[in-house]
Amino acid sequence: MIKVRNLKKEFIQGQERTQVLKGFDLNIEEGEFVAVMGPSGSGKSTLLQLLGGLDVPTEGDIVINQSNLSNMTEKERTIFRRKYIGFIFQNYQLLPTLSVEENIAFPLHADGSLTKKKNQIIIELLDSVGLKGLGRKRANLLSGGQQQRVAIARALVNNPSVLLADEPTGNLDRGKAEEILGLISRFNRENNQTIIMVTHDIFAAGFADRIILFKDGVIDQVISRKGDDYAKYVANFMA
Amino acid sequence: MLNMWRISWRNITQNKKRFFISLLGIILGIAFVTSMLIADKTTNDVFDYYEEMYVANADYWVLSDEHTYSEDVVSSVLTSPIVTETMLALDKQAFFELEGDQSLNQRSVRITGVNDQSSSLLKLPVIEGSLDNEGLVIPKAVANLLNKKVGDTIRFTDLGEAKVSAIVEYTQLLASPSNWERAESTSFRIMAPLELLQEWTGMEDKLSYVRFQTTEEGEKLFQSLQEEFRNSNVYVQPVVADDRQSNDIGGLYTFFYLIAGLSMFISGFIVFNMIYTSVMERKKEFAIMKSFGYLQSSVSRLILIEVLLLGLIGTAVGVPMGIWLGDMFMQTLLSVFEFDMVYTLNWKIPALIAVVVGILFPVVSSLFPIYNAGKTSVLLTLKMANQTQSSRSLYIVRAVLGVGLLAFVFINHPISYLAILVSIILLFPLLLLGVSRIFKPILKLIFGYSGSLATQTLTKQLNRNANTAAILAVGIAVILLLSAVIESAPEGYENEIRNTYGGDLRVSSESPWSNQDIEKLLSYDAVVNVDSLTEATPITWVNTNGEKRQFSIFAVDEEGPTLFESSNKDNLYYELAKEPSVILGERAFDEWGGNIGEYIYINTPSGKQQLEVLDVVKTSNYSGYVAFMDENHLNNKFGWANNFDVLLTLKDGYTGEQLRNELWLDFSTHLSKVETVEDEIKSTTSALIGMNELILIMLVLIIGLASIGTANTLLMNTLERTTEIGTMRALGFTKQQVKKMIIGEGLLIGLSGVIGGIISGVVLLYTTSQSELLGGVISFQLPLGNIILALIAGVSLSLLASWISSTTASKINIISSLKEG
Repeated sequence: MIKVRNLKKEFIQGQERTQVLKGFDLNIEEGEFVAVMGPSGSGKSTLLQLLGGLDVPTEGDIVINQSNLSNMTEKERTIFRRKYIGFIFQNYQLLPTLSVEENIAFPLHADGSLTKKKNQIIIELLDSVGLKGLGRKRANLLSGGQQQRVAIARALVNNPSVLLADEPTGNLDRGKAEEILGLISRFNRENNQTIIMVTHDIFAAGFADRIILFKDGVIDQVISRKGDDYAKYVANFMA
Repeated sequence: MLNMWRISWRNITQNKKRFFISLLGIILGIAFVTSMLIADKTTNDVFDYYEEMYVANADYWVLSDEHTYSEDVVSSVLTSPIVTETMLALDKQAFFELEGDQSLNQRSVRITGVNDQSSSLLKLPVIEGSLDNEGLVIPKAVANLLNKKVGDTIRFTDLGEAKVSAIVEYTQLLASPSNWERAESTSFRIMAPLELLQEWTGMEDKLSYVRFQTTEEGEKLFQSLQEEFRNSNVYVQPVVADDRQSNDIGGLYTFFYLIAGLSMFISGFIVFNMIYTSVMERKKEFAIMKSFGYLQSSVSRLILIEVLLLGLIGTAVGVPMGIWLGDMFMQTLLSVFEFDMVYTLNWKIPALIAVVVGILFPVVSSLFPIYNAGKTSVLLTLKMANQTQSSRSLYIVRAVLGVGLLAFVFINHPISYLAILVSIILLFPLLLLGVSRIFKPILKLIFGYSGSLATQTLTKQLNRNANTAAILAVGIAVILLLSAVIESAPEGYENEIRNTYGGDLRVSSESPWSNQDIEKLLSYDAVVNVDSLTEATPITWVNTNGEKRQFSIFAVDEEGPTLFESSNKDNLYYELAKEPSVILGERAFDEWGGNIGEYIYINTPSGKQQLEVLDVVKTSNYSGYVAFMDENHLNNKFGWANNFDVLLTLKDGYTGEQLRNELWLDFSTHLSKVETVEDEIKSTTSALIGMNELILIMLVLIIGLASIGTANTLLMNTLERTTEIGTMRALGFTKQQVKKMIIGEGLLIGLSGVIGGIISGVVLLYTTSQSELLGGVISFQLPLGNIILALIAGVSLSLLASWISSTTASKINIISSLKEG
């Protein structure tokens, strides 16, 4: 479903060129939950930005649902993102002047596709993320955990096929993080959505089907839940 | 120290667009202030110049209340050793002999014969030819209209002909109409050699006046001449530079300072906005500086240098621009007046003042942020403590205070204007919220969800957005008030003129009107009544500061024409008749500076007298720069015996225009002027109508300046919301949708500003129309044309301003903006 071929990304600052992604291939299946890990500067967040169409690769192709993002214009990528991608950010990135409901409905508003039926979806989503009755509240008045739940609901409102999560539990304590990861896993199972989550936290990565380890702009190691290495790898980290 | 300046420069130019917009606001503010200061000084100079030219080096003059007198009468002046120079003059009304079909009144010309055209008691700015005492001296306006050059001959009906020897610029002595339409009601004025005029008219040995210059003992001579002429038909007066009877330009200076103040206010707000936001953005930077040992004063100094840099650049560009703008403004302003006046731009002192103002006002506007930067708390800032949000209670206090100040609408005092303007600013958050709510469906219809979002995001910086809109509103309100005043004033003046002109037609003669003349006038079908009008002029007097002034005194009595308005008129006539005393027109009263019941010193034909001021009254005569006295006292005690004017009242259905030609034909030998009440209305109101065009230009300029403030605010809002906009883009908002949202915000600010400005303008106009001082002249009449212009200019310039910010917003880099969050 997601095919990445020879992906390269280079940043130029003044006279200096920095190659963040140095060319690699990657396939992610539909409904798969993938965690991307690696040290700072290894290129994992850049991969997420390219997958979300927020930026374009210097070289290589990203194909999602048979659409090649590399060939799209800026506007086409925005509309593609609106339809097929859901974003969850570490800092929640809620719009402070909007209410919880309005934040969740934002992608639908952007699309002009908010209908009565979809309004019902928002209510259901609120319920499913445990925020029933808080729809009218200003988003910036909620706790961190609650804000991240709103962000998850917002990412899911247009039923995207791909959910991109950048350190979704980075600002939360272990208990809250577990709740949020549980939610993400639940939606992954129930809606068969593909989830790609960048994280530093092996506990969070433990929820994924596959862990991709990044190092110096290339994939260093891929550890699958099905393989023998997975348990060893996780246990190693936890120890 | 140089290092600090360099750091400050880097800081202010970090965001190029914001720097440019703020600088543009400062430049335009300084340019407007400079231009208004220049306009003030230059206008003052222009009128001083013409007054001085009128006075020249003359100290005194001997005039007569019988139009002319024999040269022998002034032999004591001509032979006095105290007198250093004299100039003898004779005025005679005549008619040009022209080949065209101009009417008699259009050809009417007053010839002033002088014994020495190059006398230092007479200043004539020669354009062409020379003052050779042989030919005619004509002003440029006459030369152009008659198509005459130096050396050409001009003929006068029943008098003779002479060659033009010099063409001169506009002077008060030779003020002439510059078109035939104006010539219908105003005579031309030219100059001829005295002997030639005396020979033409057969008035050998006759003079209208003698001007003379004296040594330091002039005052003694003046007093002795007053004594000598006490019971004669001549009288002596000091020559005084006082043009207030023909020019009422006092209001112009208020206009200049109002525009300058408004420009500074708006620019100051732009500077405050920029510096305050910059300080808030850099709190962390200041906290780090302080943690490394920087003092509060060092941090404040850094911001002060930034503001000074802005002020210096703004001044360096704004002042030259202001000089150019001042020149343009003067050209437009003087074209409003009837006469072709010349001016020399007085820019040096105004430019110097503007430099000081230009450097100081950004500093004054930024005092709070400068102080605030220094007060940055290291611990709180480094902990990233939340900025205090404006609480609901603050808005409530603001609104209550605003409503409270609005009560000043009903208080008749100049301070009410300031209170109303402050009230508008305080109430603006409410108005902005109201306008947002009302226009939300419309914005949603036009811009889709972006429009609806704009109404919500506008509340994030409600204070700043409301203040921006309020600044626009204040600008619009003040200009609308000015334009309403100027638009409705002609109607008010017309009413006042019709009520106090005393008749339908004022006919002036060179010699006193005989009974035969009056009978002839009464025999006209159109004439229902003829009233004699006695005007003693020029009469000099002294104000409470000891300065000499000059005006006319009209004779009034219960039976005569109505020349002033007062609810106490009958009593005033009675009081005037009891003892020699005067009542003053409003402008004369203001210029005098005393109180009712006090005494005014007047140089009467019978010598210096002190007369009690009984009251101050409204009158259109000489725009209120005039006095009134009982007819008997004016004739006897005051010493003014003759009258040269009559006021004709016409039957219904007749106009003065129909009678004008007949009068010129029947009384051509001694008629000097025929003025209808319509002529007087036209000449009083034409300058005001011309001023309205100037007001329209100022309206657009002020809205333009306020729109720079809008652009500045929106840009800062955008920069503060980078993360928010980045998130929107990440969630699928297109660039176009972001643009629409910012434009929607700008549109709401602009609309609120315009709506608030119009409402405030109407409130200010209502207060003005209710004011006792202006109530009679200014009516509650909305300047619809200017309101529409304000609406169009306000909305379109706000759209332009928001477009600038919207392009910045749409170009925000999504990835870096998300990192900032």
